[in-house]
Amino acid sequence: MGNVIAVISGKGGVGKTTTTANIGLGIALNNKRCVVVDFDIGQRNLDMILGLENRVVYDIVQVMDGEASLSQALIKSKMNDKLYFLAASQTKDKTALQSEKISKLIESLREDFDYIILDAPAGIESGYEHTIEFADAAIIVVNPEVSSIRDADRAIGILDSKSQKVKDGAEVAKYLIINRIDAKMVQSGEMLSSSDILDILGINLLGKVPEDKGIIDASNQGKPIILNPNSAAGQAYKRIASRLCGEDIDMPELETVQGGFLQKIKGIFK
Amino acid sequence: MFPWFKKKGSASTAKDRLTIAIMSDRDNNNSYPFMAQMKAEIIEVVKKYIGVKTINITKDVEGDFEALSIEVQLDKNA
Repeated sequence: MGNVIAVISGKGGVGKTTTTANIGLGIALNNKRCVVVDFDIGQRNLDMILGLENRVVYDIVQVMDGEASLSQALIKSKMNDKLYFLAASQTKDKTALQSEKISKLIESLREDFDYIILDAPAGIESGYEHTIEFADAAIIVVNPEVSSIRDADRAIGILDSKSQKVKDGAEVAKYLIINRIDAKMVQSGEMLSSSDILDILGINLLGKVPEDKGIIDASNQGKPIILNPNSAAGQAYKRIASRLCGEDIDMPELETVQGGFLQKIKGIFK
Repeated sequence: MFPWFKKKGSASTAKDRLTIAIMSDRDNNNSYPFMAQMKAEIIEVVKKYIGVKTINITKDVEGDFEALSIEVQLDKNA
């Protein structure tokens, strides 16, 4: 039975879709069968990030409505044959998602895959609630910035009251990813540190991802940055995916600027 | 060490402001889905003994410590 993980953020533009794509591919690189599902109805984007936009024939709503079978709609990744993708529909109809149909779809995905990663829409509207409804766990993506953190806390609050697991008396696991960390700014006290953010949100840290200009290039090409061995963000996603697969991987210090002369002097006096 | 070398950044301001904003958000929103039903049931029980005008239930969170405060407003005329 597969593990269902929703990737959520509250605020848009913090790197939720990029995170979903990279984690999905990372899990597949760990030799597990993984499917990434775009739940952002009306604003399909995961297909672009994965470089699969030309392969989409059927989407998630067509599968739920019985107009296409799951195997017709699932698209195999060009980069890894353990990774599959299910596209969001581009309909503007917000009522396209219904609990009963989502539950049925997720149950059949659980049979075929080890990991089912759901990319939630931004915001805390019904589309978001439907994404978290049947998830076993949630990955919360934040940037070290006030509006992202506040919106994430609201999204976590809704997760804690609306998820089916919570209604059944169980707990939904929550993991935090802090994305776009600028070490220099954290060092000079201009950016919230990861320990500040953990104090405020009170959930477990899954990983830290540094700011990386290569992300734009990766999305331009439709090749997730995890495939770039020289990218710091790519390496961070690799560690996160391995942690999700149950490996015990060290959390490297991303918030200290390394190698500078002043840094070495400060190190002596510490 | 050498605090006068450190330029004071705005991260600590962000942390303080966020902590307060989030605490107040949670007070307003973090109620349980069963809250309305529990409230109705408590009113039924108390009503057996004394007149009740209304009940306010609030959830307070302070670090790891969480508490429900139940305030029963009595109805003098009942």
